[in-house]
Amino acid sequence: MEIEVLDAVRQRTLDQFTEGPSVKESRLFFLLLPFFSGKTWSAEIESSAKTVSIVYAALHAHDQVREDNPISKEQQLTVLAGDLYSGIYYQMLVNSKNIAMVQKLATAIIQVSERKTSFFEGMDRSIAEVEEAITIIETELLISFYKFYGYTEYESLAKQALLYIRYADELERLQSKNYSNFLRELTSNLNHKNYVEHWLVEKLDNLHEKIVKSIDECSLDYELAQFLLHQITPHQHRAEQLTREG
Amino acid sequence: MEKMKLKLLYSDLRPELEMIEKELEQAVDSESLLLNDASLHLLQAGGKRIRPVFVLLAGKFGDYNIDVMKQVAVPLELIHMASLVHDDVIDDSEIRRGRPTVKAQWNNSVAMYTGDFILARALERITEITAPRVHEILSKTLIEVCRGEIIQIQDKYKLDQNLRDYFRRIKRKTALLISSSCELGALVSGTDEKTAAHLRRFGYFIGMSFQIIDDILDFTSTDEELGKPAGSDFIQGNITLPILCARKDPEIYQLLKANLNKELSDHERLEIVGIIRNSSGIEEAKAMSERYLQKALRELSFLPKGPGVKTMRKIAFFIGKRNF
Repeated sequence: MEIEVLDAVRQRTLDQFTEGPSVKESRLFFLLLPFFSGKTWSAEIESSAKTVSIVYAALHAHDQVREDNPISKEQQLTVLAGDLYSGIYYQMLVNSKNIAMVQKLATAIIQVSERKTSFFEGMDRSIAEVEEAITIIETELLISFYKFYGYTEYESLAKQALLYIRYADELERLQSKNYSNFLRELTSNLNHKNYVEHWLVEKLDNLHEKIVKSIDECSLDYELAQFLLHQITPHQHRAEQLTREG
Repeated sequence: MEKMKLKLLYSDLRPELEMIEKELEQAVDSESLLLNDASLHLLQAGGKRIRPVFVLLAGKFGDYNIDVMKQVAVPLELIHMASLVHDDVIDDSEIRRGRPTVKAQWNNSVAMYTGDFILARALERITEITAPRVHEILSKTLIEVCRGEIIQIQDKYKLDQNLRDYFRRIKRKTALLISSSCELGALVSGTDEKTAAHLRRFGYFIGMSFQIIDDILDFTSTDEELGKPAGSDFIQGNITLPILCARKDPEIYQLLKANLNKELSDHERLEIVGIIRNSSGIEEAKAMSERYLQKALRELSFLPKGPGVKTMRKIAFFIGKRNF
């Protein structure tokens, strides 16, 4: 599917000057999870799944826009790449006469944009609120897709796993001193970098346990479960190591 | 002042436009205080609301129902707004309509998310209309507008491009959205296909004329009138029709070539603006705009007579002569 998605949004100038459309493997995995698990899957659902990945690519492109002054040609085209992908997702759903899905995805994009902006508001908020914002940013598009097609049984697992992957990335960022807005807000809440690290490690441990349980509850077949566990295992090793080191 | 004059032209639509203004405010209402501020900042900067006006006017040729018309008029203006906020990031613009841009007031990231939010609101709203044709036209337009902007970046700082490149760009950048406003207005009000086609072509020609005039005004207006530095197009490397016409003079060509993609002082910028303003490029560009205007008026002549045609004609004439 990744190749089909990339082909759908390909544009010569964008390919030349931008990093091109990017969708995380983990997101693609969860989009296709109902199909892999043998659930009802049609051409319409497949097309919807593709458009969700295109929306992910669109929003990801806009996340890459930096504060450079003046803005480079690469950055200018990155802005337009995101806009073009948005037009393409809309057109693909229109072509498959799935206007209801356009509406669902638009609503999800609104939620995601609101939460992304919340990191620039400079308002005091609790860690629970920060976590809620990150959860929506990571999962809202996928959850809209699940709800629309009745795949809600995978909701918990997907939320846990995507959040796990995000927190693992944030842990790496923290260790390489490449601070994100999320880490900055967490640090100001927890007062010290060490507490942030501890918080993330605990979250990862906690989520790992939940993921194992959810895999069981969803009755994923052996290969799927292994694939998923493989995605989180390297991070788990790192988390365990950090826990041991105190 | 000129904007006021334009608004007077469509004063018949005032109650409907006030309703649309309120709907726009509601549409950008958000749980996020920052998104609210950024969107309202953009909305309150004003604008000519030319797209909603054309939707409403086109609707006058069919079964006009404001509750249906606004379902198209509001999203089209939102789409335009979303593109402006992203354009300001692309062009690194600090000022628009005399006010700081969203990127200048906050930052590039906030501008990106504001644009995404507003576009999503537009799509959320327009999907209340289920007619597939509406979505076919709009989605195609969105893609073409983006492609036009990508081409604009490709063509930046290329003084040796041809006129066809310029027209291809402005068609996608401006004319298509105005053309779609007219066509969609006609469609949702249930006009016949022939009328819808004339309105679509009217929108296209008027959009081309409108953009050429905009490009002329970038050289003939003052910083104050424009609400941004005169000659911004040239500074940003956008080669517009006045430049393409003026470059025939070898001296001007050399001057432009020497100053393209160069950091210019205010004095140097105003000198170039002055040279273009006094060149034949302005008159030639005006003639080109006039040609499109005449084509637009010709399309109107095929439409059933009535208040819709009258107002469209007045707007068309105004666009041809505007100086803001």
